[in-house]
Amino acid sequence: MTDTEVVGRAQGGDQAAFRALYDANVDRIYRLMYRMAGEDDLAQDFTQEAFLRAWQRLDQFRGNAAFSTWLHAIAVSVALNGLRKVDRHRRRERSLEDAAPVAAGRRELDVGARERLAEAVDDLPEIYRTVLLMHDLEGYGHGDIAGILGVPEGTSKARLSRARERLRATLGDAMKEYVG
Amino acid sequence: MSEEPMDELTRLLREEYNPPPEAPRDEMWAALSARLEPRDSGVIPLEVARRRRSAPVRRSLAWGAAAAAVLVVGVGIGRMTAPMTPTAPPVAEATPDPPTGTEGGVLRVVAVEHLERTEALLRMVRADGAAGKVDPAVGAWARGLLTQTRLLLDIPQGQDPSIQELLEDLELVLVQIVGVTEVAVGNEARAREELGLTLDGIERREVLSRIQAVVPPGAGLAGT
Repeated sequence: MTDTEVVGRAQGGDQAAFRALYDANVDRIYRLMYRMAGEDDLAQDFTQEAFLRAWQRLDQFRGNAAFSTWLHAIAVSVALNGLRKVDRHRRRERSLEDAAPVAAGRRELDVGARERLAEAVDDLPEIYRTVLLMHDLEGYGHGDIAGILGVPEGTSKARLSRARERLRATLGDAMKEYVG
Repeated sequence: MSEEPMDELTRLLREEYNPPPEAPRDEMWAALSARLEPRDSGVIPLEVARRRRSAPVRRSLAWGAAAAAVLVVGVGIGRMTAPMTPTAPPVAEATPDPPTGTEGGVLRVVAVEHLERTEALLRMVRADGAAGKVDPAVGAWARGLLTQTRLLLDIPQGQDPSIQELLEDLELVLVQIVGVTEVAVGNEARAREELGLTLDGIERREVLSRIQAVVPPGAGLAGT
């Protein structure tokens, strides 16, 4: 069955078809939500909310873009709106506590360096941070990012470039010993 | 704008900035599936409508049937929405004599009539939206106009391309309006959010100004 057929069946109310769409997309969506949110509870909430809204709005899916792109657009919107309601720095404290044991046993950043790195990304303007996370951390192409964010591809590239510039300017030499 | 290769800082970020664990698929699906309500809006999904539209139909039958159906439905909607548009005369009376022997001419007249009615709905939704609400009764009106829009879109190659494109955008906006009125029952917060998206769609697609560009000056419902 093609993607179009699966989407068509889901639009007709077939939950099994929607489950197939969920299975095909949930890993990428959850990863992106986690990168954006920094904690599991929020990432799960955003992921579920994105799929729920997709289900409720399936009537509006026009098929002009891939279903995955449409779904990602919903998910990013859900996450950005959700994050605006949460104090990002307060979340950061929890996230760092959670992350510390994961890094043990390899060439790891000390807590201070990790915090500086995280704060530098957190403090990026939302439009730059989103593109940075999608492109550099999760490997989305600029074409995909443009489709998801509803901006021209050149804008995606420009935002990534600015995000990197700002990070380098903010961090300066602070990460030198860790990046070799 | 050059795309720089991933440098060491990027590698560090990928490893250290919110590294995601494996997605708890089943756990999330269990929570999600409990919230999935049956989908039965009574409105044919856009994708399904478009697939049907692309099915081959004998043109002469299709345009005639669709135009007639639009007129009939239009009269029905005119009566149904009379309290909301008190100055609207019956559509059949308001329709000028079509240019004889030209399918395109008749079709354009029908389309213009339809666009006028749609404009009235959009203006009401926009005005209501400014107050952060929408009258649930608008849903029935929007459904009727959606049906008409699809009838007009069903006419293969019979439409002025600019009107065709406008109708396609109106189809989406009307689906959204129907959705808002359905959400509005029992979930005000979500209804406000959906309404915001719908209003954004109306502005972004510039449907009102595009309708005005098609509808001849002075041909408004109130003046005919």
